[in-house]
Amino acid sequence: MSDQAADDVSTFQDIIRTLQNYWSEQGCVIMQPLDMEVGAGTFHPATFLRAIGPEPWRTAYVQPSRRPSDGRYGDNPNRLQHYFQFQVLIKPSPDDFQNLYLGSLEQLGFDTLVHDVRFVEDNWEAPTLGAWGLGWEVWLNGMEVSQFTYFQQVGGVECSPVSGEITYGIERLAMNIQGVDSIYDLIWTRGPQGIVTYGDIYHQNEVEQSSYNFELADSAELFHWFDVCEQQGQILIDKKLPLPAYEQVIKASHTFNLLDARHAISVTERQRFILRVRTLSRGVARAYLESREALGFPLLAPEARS
Amino acid sequence: MSTADCLIELGTEELPPRSLKTLSQSFAELTRRALEDCGLTPSSVQVFATPRRLAMLLRDVPTRQSDRLVVKRGPALAVAFDAEGKPSKAALGFAKSCGVSFDALTQKATDKGSWLYFEKSEAGLGLRQILPGVVSTALTRLPIPKRMRWGTRSDEFVRPVKWLLMMIGSEPVDAEILGVRGGAVSYGHRFHAPGEISITRATDYESLLRTKGWVVADFDLRKSIIRDLVEENAGKLGGIVQIEEPLLDEVTALVEYPVAVCGAFDEEFLDIPQEALVMTMQDNQKYFAVFDQTGKLMPHFIAIANIDSRHPEVVVAGNERVIRPRFSDAGFFYRQDQKQPLAKLLPRLDAVVFQEQLGSLGDKTRRITGLAIYIASRLGADEDQVRRAAELCKCDLMTGMVGEFPKLQGVMGRYYARHDHEPEKVSNAIEQHYWPRFAGDELPQSDVAQCLALADRLDSLIGIFAIGEKPSGVKDPFALRRAALAVVRILVEKSLPLDLGDLCAMARQGLAHKIDASSVETEVIDYIFGRLRTYYQEQEINFDIVDAVVVDKPSVLRDCDRKIQALNQFQSNTAALALAAANKRIVNILKKQKLDPSAEVNPSRFELAAEKQLFEQLNTLRARVEPMFDEGQYLQGLNELAGLRPAVDQFFDEVMVMVDDESLKNNRLALLQQLFRCFRQVADFSRIQSK
Repeated sequence: MSDQAADDVSTFQDIIRTLQNYWSEQGCVIMQPLDMEVGAGTFHPATFLRAIGPEPWRTAYVQPSRRPSDGRYGDNPNRLQHYFQFQVLIKPSPDDFQNLYLGSLEQLGFDTLVHDVRFVEDNWEAPTLGAWGLGWEVWLNGMEVSQFTYFQQVGGVECSPVSGEITYGIERLAMNIQGVDSIYDLIWTRGPQGIVTYGDIYHQNEVEQSSYNFELADSAELFHWFDVCEQQGQILIDKKLPLPAYEQVIKASHTFNLLDARHAISVTERQRFILRVRTLSRGVARAYLESREALGFPLLAPEARS
Repeated sequence: MSTADCLIELGTEELPPRSLKTLSQSFAELTRRALEDCGLTPSSVQVFATPRRLAMLLRDVPTRQSDRLVVKRGPALAVAFDAEGKPSKAALGFAKSCGVSFDALTQKATDKGSWLYFEKSEAGLGLRQILPGVVSTALTRLPIPKRMRWGTRSDEFVRPVKWLLMMIGSEPVDAEILGVRGGAVSYGHRFHAPGEISITRATDYESLLRTKGWVVADFDLRKSIIRDLVEENAGKLGGIVQIEEPLLDEVTALVEYPVAVCGAFDEEFLDIPQEALVMTMQDNQKYFAVFDQTGKLMPHFIAIANIDSRHPEVVVAGNERVIRPRFSDAGFFYRQDQKQPLAKLLPRLDAVVFQEQLGSLGDKTRRITGLAIYIASRLGADEDQVRRAAELCKCDLMTGMVGEFPKLQGVMGRYYARHDHEPEKVSNAIEQHYWPRFAGDELPQSDVAQCLALADRLDSLIGIFAIGEKPSGVKDPFALRRAALAVVRILVEKSLPLDLGDLCAMARQGLAHKIDASSVETEVIDYIFGRLRTYYQEQEINFDIVDAVVVDKPSVLRDCDRKIQALNQFQSNTAALALAAANKRIVNILKKQKLDPSAEVNPSRFELAAEKQLFEQLNTLRARVEPMFDEGQYLQGLNELAGLRPAVDQFFDEVMVMVDDESLKNNRLALLQQLFRCFRQVADFSRIQSK
């Protein structure tokens, strides 16, 4: 697939660097992580918003992701409330998208004649984002290491052209490469002071954040904060400021996740909260499309613009 | 007529495994049918399906349609000409619609009249011209629940389309479908043979893909290879596999080149309920679980990879690494759940909504308990055990294990109840109240479990009908079809002396403080009888037999079943058809007469021997068969009644019923009515069809 020799990927940060280099060579804008709490790389405006409208776009970036309910106080070697995704979005989705992905696996040292790599149907839906797409989870010797999705709708807006999204679970890939059974044992890097593991960096964070998420997060204040984000978001949509409005969506969404971790939302109420975030997302998506149109879709090639 | 073999292959990105078979079969069938409609019927169709291709080989397809005569009938001759004998407006209009001048039309006389006609011989088209349209239409008609777009294209399909192979004999067909051009090139296995494979002849496709492409294109062949691989490897491990068809189909749809991978896991995981381990392996990982000869899970699994790896041990190690954390998680939940007794979870059911109008799972549990205890009282089951089992039956929905593995509802309840030292019958009833879970599944074994199973289903049926959500078409979100069939099967196959009307009334009362369900009670009973009809249809009992019994809606289904079985067996009696015919005749006669339903037969009014004889035989037999009917021995009773046949035949031969003498006529009618009613105790015989 790729004529380049595989990189040294023996540490966690090598993997990130390799993926960044690879996708950079495919013409992607290498973005930096969003500086807010999000549940997945999809929430980054470089994906959610850029997938909307006709402008072509290629990007790749690491996104630290938070799922408060998945915290296990650092006790479970496979579940964390804070972990890392590597996200790729290419619009329009290229014909050789699957092969580009397989090329990245080769770059990471996975010989596809040794490893059993498969695309297994897994359709994606993000109810709070009013988004869905069809695609696969990618299996590497039976382990899901990536999600592969052709976006069909985002924020209630039909995707045209369609964006192709790849999300790598960096920890899973690293565990496979390093042959370890606990995320905490992953080698993050080797420095003059010796090996620094994932656990050295993040274990304490898992313990403390789990306490906060499950025991100490103030539900009453969070409910209030959710309302504030919703109101602010709506005001900003009305003022035609989709970018700050979208940040309110992100905040509301994370607040909802925290409330969920506290079991503060009943099953019936849950649906209503999801709907409230979705309504905001849709408003943002429409406002963003209008704002880009008002700017004349600047990323479109000149001949396509007219 | 010249024919050729025709090959069509659509290459795609990986197709959804659970619909692959349906997609490939529909594609072939739609194509075959469309060709047939064009007069180009293939002699046979072989279907191919892999994750990356839908293909078919159509054999002996005529390469050209025969010429055909197009005939159109125009206006009648009477209105085809005006007074001066010139073509009328209608006639000219017809000619115009056919695209010809009036002179090109012909006239024809038939025995029904004379008309203007247009006739044209139309040259047949070649298969080459027809095929692209046929294929492209077939693709748009595939049963795809969710179609997708990709890139900048507006075409929609299941997954992005990569290539199209379309050939007649050894010649490619040039056409563009879904954005790809047809050719004579296919592609092999994604990793083993990624390059182009030229197909020289349509009929070489399968073998070329196999030898050059590392692809077993035939779904069923691949499936049987996988079955053999799995069984062989299980044998090597000294174990056995219970291969479930849906899993085997799914695995078959996930590979083009199957290779078995045997993995193992730590024996300590075997302390976890094996249902959870099996589910993790099957549902999440598509592995086959291996059991020892006693049915106990072994610490091994068999996976089917899509590659003949250069380092198979890497694939094994990877697969083993995946299930370890999953099993650990299951073990964690299992230990956590056991820290408190199942009964402690009961109050928490109040916080979970079953259905907005019908209340929480706690409400449902209380209703199930009430109804189940009532059923227990009718069946003489242990009411304390039924109460306990009913209270506990939904509690496992609040456990971590069921949260993680929803399909283990009931199963985990049984484990936890046993752990809490609940009586065996109670523990088992918690699991079995969900039975039967699917068509042909086992039924709840004990009376305690049966009480729960019936109570749960009837409460759902009455409740959901009452909120206006009864099943319609394919929509059945509460799985009421299955619930109704479960009620039928339990009542019939467990031979329970319960009255359906009574049960539904009790279920309605249980729901009374949530919703008024009085108006749907009959509807639910009708719905259950509808399921009952399908139930017998599936057993291949003739519809008319079922109809003859069900027409009266005998609300004790056990009795209903005995009647149907008796009537079905009675059909082998030589008198059966004659008696059915006689009953039909009686019904037809009585239908036209206004006979007092309570009319008695007066023996002193008999004028003919045949009347008297029928009457006497009927009375003698009635005295004999009625106790049989009372005891449900319907077949025995019917066989006795069969002895009436000569007397019935003689009656109809010799006795004129519709005589002028009103009282004589009514006496004869009363006798026939009595005869009909005697049979009617089992069924309406007049509904039985003569074959």
